[in-house]
Amino acid sequence: MTLRRALTILCLAAIVALSIGARLLQLVFVDRAPLARALDGFYDRQWPQYPHFLSDLREHTQPGDTIAVIVPAMGWDDGYSYAYYRASYFLTGREVLPLVTPDNRRLQRNFLAAKYIAVFGVRLRVPADVIWQGDQGALLRLRR
Amino acid sequence: MIPTLVAILSLAVLGIPIALNTDRSSRGPMIVGTSFLYGSGTMFLVLLTLSIVHIRWTLISVSVAALAIFCAAAVIARRQPATDNRQRPVRPHVFDVLTILTISGYTLFATLVPLWEWDFWAIWGLKAKAFLEIGAIDWRFLQSPWNTFLHPDYPLLVPLNFDFVALAAGWNDRWFGLLFVAWGMALLLIIRAMAAREMTPFYASLLTFGLAGIGLSTNIGLAEGALIAFGSAGVLFVRTGLLDDDAGSWRNGALLLGFAANCKNEGMALLVAVTIAVLLVSWSRGLAVSRENDDVAAQPRNRATARLLSLIPAYALAAPWLVLRATHVLATDIAGGALVRIMTRLPHAHQILGYLAAKLYKPWFWVAILAGILIAPAASRRREAFVLLVTAIQLVFFAGAYFATPHDIHWHVLTSWPRLTAQIAVPITFVVFLMLANSLRGGEDAPHAEVGSDQ
Repeated sequence: MTLRRALTILCLAAIVALSIGARLLQLVFVDRAPLARALDGFYDRQWPQYPHFLSDLREHTQPGDTIAVIVPAMGWDDGYSYAYYRASYFLTGREVLPLVTPDNRRLQRNFLAAKYIAVFGVRLRVPADVIWQGDQGALLRLRR
Repeated sequence: MIPTLVAILSLAVLGIPIALNTDRSSRGPMIVGTSFLYGSGTMFLVLLTLSIVHIRWTLISVSVAALAIFCAAAVIARRQPATDNRQRPVRPHVFDVLTILTISGYTLFATLVPLWEWDFWAIWGLKAKAFLEIGAIDWRFLQSPWNTFLHPDYPLLVPLNFDFVALAAGWNDRWFGLLFVAWGMALLLIIRAMAAREMTPFYASLLTFGLAGIGLSTNIGLAEGALIAFGSAGVLFVRTGLLDDDAGSWRNGALLLGFAANCKNEGMALLVAVTIAVLLVSWSRGLAVSRENDDVAAQPRNRATARLLSLIPAYALAAPWLVLRATHVLATDIAGGALVRIMTRLPHAHQILGYLAAKLYKPWFWVAILAGILIAPAASRRREAFVLLVTAIQLVFFAGAYFATPHDIHWHVLTSWPRLTAQIAVPITFVVFLMLANSLRGGEDAPHAEVGSDQ
């Protein structure tokens, strides 16, 4: 066997060994429950009840409504970006307005422009009518 | 789950006459794989067209349009003369069982829980869900200054496929995972059939088993799975077209690359990379052939022009979205002020490239690929120059995007570099494996290479 042939065999073996989806193969034979628990709601772990809250909001709002969300963490990278994006997904058909920019500037005009203010995990001390109240939060309409 | 499976199967059925029109000699795993990809791509075009002409998406409107296309394609396919069965039958091998097991594991993974990826519910799934609300592409939603986070300029093949499945089977975050299984399986079937043409069943099945690990994208819910399927298959078909001068392979390559350009912006970059590589390879080979036998048709310019014309369908498929995103002035993050950022970062090129090398996903895999390129016979490297060039050009484009990014480079690299390298891994692995396997067989060339005009 020449050196080149030996290297070729070694290289072929390495390519196959480093390519194969070992974890995918394993999945067929192992208990998948721990992985399912790890993946399910991975991004919701900060506020596990938030998706349920958003589902309730969807039930109590109509397509075309504008909604701004207030959550315990109002810093963009502290949780607000998650809250805003997640609300956009659950509340499609409505327009979700952010109250904070990625560089953490407050968007007061969106607070005033939104038809509803959804508050999750906090209390809001402003004159407003409660449209719906749940365990984790409420849907408010500001009194103008 | 069953309605989702039915929806996915209907995409495969829709694609059968289109796949046959593209290559009448297509058989076995090849026709199954290409049929699903064409069904998926055609459904994207159906939903896009209905939206443009203001016909609301309903199961009925979409089915009628798809049925019309199916019937027209079937009539055309029936009129085409039958060809002798050029494709080699695919003989099964024990390694195929391992590939099936890998696909089974992937299916379990993709459908384990509702799609969990951030980019699914903030980009791809969000768009699909918003569009489904109004039964059309919601341009106002894409144009909203508050929605720039969902990358409004990204092409829509994947969201519109979600929408078709949702129209047929209802919105179900969990079973959408089956779409990714279908895209991945389609690619593996095509690869298995292509490999069977050029290798023994042992090597062909071993290669497919290996590629199952890198061709099945674990980023479930993102456009990577579809892009890898359309893009990799497209590149490999163009490779066959170049080697065999086979019109069917050229048509397959061009159409699949056109659909790849509708999956992600990287798909558009891939199309440009393929065009440049085709130009370079055709020119250099044409130069060599015309020097040998004074053949006018083989002169570099004629040869390159003829082959570039074969890619027109790809650009025709990519064009509508480019026009629509320009006319609707959809925000894009990379382009604005890119030149200034590139110039600012150029002095730090060594640091940026070093960081890319340091954060390379599966570095030993890429070391093995590089070693394979070096070990392979020089003649094989010349023969496979097209795929090597496409990979190199695409890598340059990726690096360029990091130089131009408006985001923090470290964050951008960490969140995207593994996915980008996965996008280009399949074609290069295919050709490196082929070069090495054929050199072990005593330097025999693939059967088709014997009749290729380039040899």
